[in-house]
Amino acid sequence: MVSRNPEGLVEWVRSLPLASRGAESEIRVGAWMGIDAVFKLRIPKAYMHPRLDYVLRMSRTRREAKLLAKAHSLGARVPLLLGVFPSIGLIIMERIRGKVLRDAIREGSYRAEDLRMAGEVLGRLHDGWIAHGDPTTSNYIVSGERVYLIDFGLADKATSVEDLAVDIHLFRRSVESTHAVQARDILEHFLDGYLEAAPGLGERVIERAEEIRLRGRYVEERRRTVWAG
Amino acid sequence: MVSAATQSSSRRRSGNGGDLIVLGIESTAHTFGVGIVSSREPYILADARRQYKPKSGGILPREVAAFFSSVAGEVLEEALAQAGLTVRDVDGIAVALGPGMGPALRVGATVARALASRYRKPLVPVNHAVAHIEVARFVTGLRDPVAVYVAGGNTSILSYSEGRYRVFGETLDIALGNLLDTFAREVGIAPPYVSGGKHAVDKCAEGGDYIDGLPYVVKGQDVSYSGLLTAALRMARSGARLSDVCYTLREVAFSSIVEVGERCMAHTGRDSVVLTGGVAANKVLASKVALMAESRGARHGTVPPRLAGDNGVMIALTGALALAHGITIGVEEAVIRQRWRVDRVDVPWYPETLKDLSSG
Repeated sequence: MVSRNPEGLVEWVRSLPLASRGAESEIRVGAWMGIDAVFKLRIPKAYMHPRLDYVLRMSRTRREAKLLAKAHSLGARVPLLLGVFPSIGLIIMERIRGKVLRDAIREGSYRAEDLRMAGEVLGRLHDGWIAHGDPTTSNYIVSGERVYLIDFGLADKATSVEDLAVDIHLFRRSVESTHAVQARDILEHFLDGYLEAAPGLGERVIERAEEIRLRGRYVEERRRTVWAG
Repeated sequence: MVSAATQSSSRRRSGNGGDLIVLGIESTAHTFGVGIVSSREPYILADARRQYKPKSGGILPREVAAFFSSVAGEVLEEALAQAGLTVRDVDGIAVALGPGMGPALRVGATVARALASRYRKPLVPVNHAVAHIEVARFVTGLRDPVAVYVAGGNTSILSYSEGRYRVFGETLDIALGNLLDTFAREVGIAPPYVSGGKHAVDKCAEGGDYIDGLPYVVKGQDVSYSGLLTAALRMARSGARLSDVCYTLREVAFSSIVEVGERCMAHTGRDSVVLTGGVAANKVLASKVALMAESRGARHGTVPPRLAGDNGVMIALTGALALAHGITIGVEEAVIRQRWRVDRVDVPWYPETLKDLSSG
């Protein structure tokens, strides 16, 4: 059924049922060596130069697989890596069944503990100097009593507190832009869990995240003088 | 400044037989513009403007302000002549109070305050970024889009949520227009930055091809261009073919902001996207946005070049929507707001556009 020919593998994966379509990939579900699996296939982007597109898909696939495996070894709740084929942009991983945190928040069905666990996962990654790159509420899955962080598509090794702080900034922004009303409550629980998992370092990261926010263009807090017109 | 207290529940109606006529003033950056719109066809009654063009180097705010002061009177007269109206005939004066360059903004604010007090017209505060989105929604007919807003000083991905336009992603450092202008200036192919409707980097990219080596930076829903600028300059100075560097710089810069737009569409579930702002006039960027939308089965629209760059029409148009919802400001409160963020502005008219105002 699955040949060693990567193109044949793409064909087989694309015959699996489509679970969702992200910004850059198709998520399909099926069985891989008897395990309930997710197949993440990065699809070519028509609006990019083919060379840029290929280089980005291959390097992102390789990096994502590597960091997903590292995150797992750090004890963070992330899907288990089952296989990777960089030249065709394919990653195979354990399937996490549950509800996307964003939807749980919108429906009001989330618990404070879910947000604390969401913060904890990111804290563990950061404690191992991995930045997720896209920790929005749509990339967390509430699965029973546990919360998993998925999609390491934009993850990277962190070399500075700043790299980690961008994650906190992104989470805050995703919360403020999609759940404006509950933002304060959400952030409070999230940061509680985060600080527990990344003691010491976490405080420095949060401090830096605040600096990033103030650095953003046209942020009113940055304004020192009120100019009279 | 613009609080709920200034909003009334009843729609403001004018003495123009049910039509609402608003004059708008734009002066946030290099363009001083006066536009006049009506809530009835043909909607746009006047569009007058003058653009400051530096002979060398970049834009100096004080020089822009001096230029604006010298042309403000004639631009206003030209707009009124186009519309065949006097200031007495309009229902309100809208003005872009920010964000933008202080000295430049002050000229527009001064003119607006003078007109409002002299002719006793309501003064309507308008946020420049909101106006770019409103003109896009108006001309494309896409009422609930993801907005890709790209200009000399702004690069952001915006979408409506809970009463306001929210910033889903933006540049973490310099803006797209700024990136292209600075690169062009540093390698000696500008000014002029734009001629014959084409940017110096686009002209230079003709005959160029993609080469490896420039950094592509997308962090979540944000882009970063400063590293790209530095690397492109280094590449150009180390002897790479300039047309290849221009081509690749443009390819990387445009692809990354379109990718952020794509992420926003996936995140919000929106099925349409509009391209607006000064850089929207760029055909290469517009085609990338179109390809992205088509691959998602989404609709797309681009603001035509005339209305993509800064203009008074979009300020008047947004002012009309605000005025119809009772949003006005006292002359003494109408101070400029250089860093007025788009997500601080209530847009109670959403998803209405100018075309809906006459039907009520």
